[in-house]
Amino acid sequence: MSVSPAADCQTILANISAYLDGELETTACDAIEEHCQGCPSCSGLVNGLRETVGLCRQAASAPLPEAVRQRARDSVRQLLDRETATNRSPTTKRGT
Amino acid sequence: MRAQESAYRVSLLVCGHQEDAEDVMQDALLKTYQHVRSITDPDAFRTWLYTTVRNACLMKRRRHVGEPARFVSIEQGTDRGGESTAIDVADESRPADQRMIDGWMDSRLRAALKELPALYRTVLVMRQIEGLSTKEVATITGISEANVKTRLHRARLLLRRGLEER
Repeated sequence: MSVSPAADCQTILANISAYLDGELETTACDAIEEHCQGCPSCSGLVNGLRETVGLCRQAASAPLPEAVRQRARDSVRQLLDRETATNRSPTTKRGT
Repeated sequence: MRAQESAYRVSLLVCGHQEDAEDVMQDALLKTYQHVRSITDPDAFRTWLYTTVRNACLMKRRRHVGEPARFVSIEQGTDRGGESTAIDVADESRPADQRMIDGWMDSRLRAALKELPALYRTVLVMRQIEGLSTKEVATITGISEANVKTRLHRARLLLRRGLEER
């Protein structure tokens, strides 16, 4: 994927995700950064998306509330116990 | 437990409802306990877990089509010529749980995610929040890698707009 030094706004928009994901070559990154220095609209878009990506990453690092963790553990244990009991119960023989 | 957290986060963000998310997480964890011995490759386990969670979310969504969040008895329901009518009622236990969830995850982000089309939301949650690779997301969702990238790009733009509006 290439971005010319005189990239227009449409080209920036098309390549912005690849840029944020570090999938572009250095020259393409330089072209985007150069364009953004003179274009407040694209600069705002890049910064806004960077913040959005950062917010999503933060969401992944929050630990699960203990109450939810406990409810899940209890419920899975109950289901497993029920399943074990069903497997252990003797099979009923049909009348001969 | 990492699998539990991932299952809950994905189901909460993809399903959109806290109760559904807990059901989905429990289904996924139960299946994990039942099948974990047959999966030896950690990468295969990741893909398997997220596929299980996604399928459980889809099942929940299908079950909920046209169904209110709660039903009340005929005595409590609205009287329309003797017929019982399903109506939505507030669950009194919800505010405490809601506060807990709000404290756990940015409510603005959850609200903006809810507004995204389902497949954009799924791709964004798995790729951006869970950190799965493009290839893994393509396997789980059954779409091409190019399509995953396109949807992720559009999802980011929509999410940014949604966050700005809040």
